[in-house]
Amino acid sequence: MSLPVTTQSIKPYTGEKARLVRAYDYLILVLALFLFIGSFHLHFALTVGDWDFWVDWKDRQWWPLVTPLMGITFPAAVQAVLWDKFRLPLGATLCVTALLIGTWITRIFAYHYWNFFPVNMVLPATMLPGALVLDAMLMLSNSLTITAIAGGSAFALLFYPSNWPIFALFHQPVEYANAQLTLADLFGFQYIRTGMPEYLRIIERGTLRTYGQYAAPLAAFCSALLCTLMYALWWYIGKWFATTRYLSKI
Amino acid sequence: MKIKITQWVYTLGLIILGFGGPVQTALAHGEKALEPFIRMRTIQWYDVAWSKQQFKVNEEVAVSGRFHVAEDWPVSVPKPEAAFLNVSTPGPVLIRTERWLNGKPWVNSVALQPGGDYEFKIVLKGRLPGRYHIHPFFNLKDAGQVMGPGAWLDISGNAGDFSNGVKTLNGEIVDMESVGLLNGIGWHLFWGALATGWLLWWVRRPLFISRYRMLQAGMEEVLITPTDRLIAKAVLVAVPVIVLAVNAVAVNRYPNAIPLQASLDRILPLPALVNAGQVDAEAIKAEYSVAKRAMVFTVRIDNRSDKPVRIGEFNTANVGFINPELPAVSSQAPATAAVLKLDDDTPVRPGETRTVTVTAQDASWEAEKLDGLINDADSRVGGLLFLYASEGGERYISSVSAAVIPKF
Repeated sequence: MSLPVTTQSIKPYTGEKARLVRAYDYLILVLALFLFIGSFHLHFALTVGDWDFWVDWKDRQWWPLVTPLMGITFPAAVQAVLWDKFRLPLGATLCVTALLIGTWITRIFAYHYWNFFPVNMVLPATMLPGALVLDAMLMLSNSLTITAIAGGSAFALLFYPSNWPIFALFHQPVEYANAQLTLADLFGFQYIRTGMPEYLRIIERGTLRTYGQYAAPLAAFCSALLCTLMYALWWYIGKWFATTRYLSKI
Repeated sequence: MKIKITQWVYTLGLIILGFGGPVQTALAHGEKALEPFIRMRTIQWYDVAWSKQQFKVNEEVAVSGRFHVAEDWPVSVPKPEAAFLNVSTPGPVLIRTERWLNGKPWVNSVALQPGGDYEFKIVLKGRLPGRYHIHPFFNLKDAGQVMGPGAWLDISGNAGDFSNGVKTLNGEIVDMESVGLLNGIGWHLFWGALATGWLLWWVRRPLFISRYRMLQAGMEEVLITPTDRLIAKAVLVAVPVIVLAVNAVAVNRYPNAIPLQASLDRILPLPALVNAGQVDAEAIKAEYSVAKRAMVFTVRIDNRSDKPVRIGEFNTANVGFINPELPAVSSQAPATAAVLKLDDDTPVRPGETRTVTVTAQDASWEAEKLDGLINDADSRVGGLLFLYASEGGERYISSVSAAVIPKF
């Protein structure tokens, strides 16, 4: 993964050049932040969608499988550019932070103020712990293979336990309508979503329940395996679509 | 250049002012968008009524009624193996506190049986003040939304007064409006602070051009310092340790947490209310006059009851056509009630079988976009025909359907 480099000593910029270079940094950073807020948020809304929108979609089976798998995409692509060309190990953290900024803006303004849902019903999940580990892993290993396998797995495996402190309390049981529900289920029943009937929720379907009743760890390990592949795929997507040809001319 | 900028500023100002101007509320729910044959031959609503239409925040209101699942269910529409009785609202301006089907409370979707009769009740609680047009409706899996009759609800009071306390099985009472919110925000802030720290650690130094040049020059060891490596190692160890520790705390704190519930309710239909057998009505033929906007049915009535009966109403897709000779009858208070004409309105005697021509003529066929039926792939009309005993007031309901022949 290391670039073919020729060792030579160059002096850092000083004076006006240094100021201009720093201004360029900030310009790119601000643009990148807005770009990732918009694009990663859109990608996430279209792929993870309801699993991240609603508290009563965050199940043990599909939520921890789908979310990291779709969430590792942009971080891998941006890491490919920022690490390969600049040795900046912040691609994953930058992407996930931008995603969360966009998500929180949407949840508060679109879901709460515009559509009247209580914010706790639409709390987003966090992937920041996994992103931090992914960045640190890439920096220390300087290896796509190790980062994809160990970092990608960690990204998936850390997802459910890092979010359980946020969402565990919504899984407290309540007795309602002669049935046992979670508080999260009750949100879905009480707070009316005209376009989302109960049967649309994708919860605990299929056969990912083969180890007794422990669905979440199995889903997380399945996600970890897929994330290693997804990471490598998106690393190359990032690499193919990025260029530093303009920097080379400076 | 200056003029151009000024023009842009003025344009932007006008756009912003436009957003602040009067905005007309959208009142429709797309109820006319669904193909007519689905609206007329799937869920056939009747007797729908609201307990009240003006109430305050925190007060409850109930909508109740009946529906018949048409026997002549369109072949192109999947059978109602998963159906969800919903309420069309502009967001949760009300919350749904109870829902009953045939006297049983239910929270999930249910499998409906074609030909079945059901009685429902939904209890709603005012949450946000305002004036809203609300329908009960069915989400039918793979088919769409079939609207019931709508009503205007006026909710007064203060939104801040709304409360929604729920008792968990652990005995704790939680406020659904705020439970878990601060905890969630707190964890997002915590991880956000760590992420911000990591980002600032790198952003504080020269980034793109400088680092690119240095990397090209082979000065990688300058770009990643030993301190950077130390911090990365700390992140690599500390983050998983924190995650696993706080996860363990959460697991211990909520030992009775259960997975999200996913099931289908099973509720059987009521004893037959429609097509119950005593008085049968069968549509033999239906013609739709495009020019007159009139559906003309030829209906054969077989009265096996012991009382003479008369046709009182034909109701389809929430449009009621009422026989003016029986003004007191109506299956509901439809927003659009039109006149039903009969060529022979004399009572059908007990034991008599009679063929009657029934004309349902009104602009509603067009206004409710039901006349599009003649252009559908499945151009069959359906609805409920209400017959009333001349003495005693008993009501007999038949679900009728027939292929439609357009008359241009």
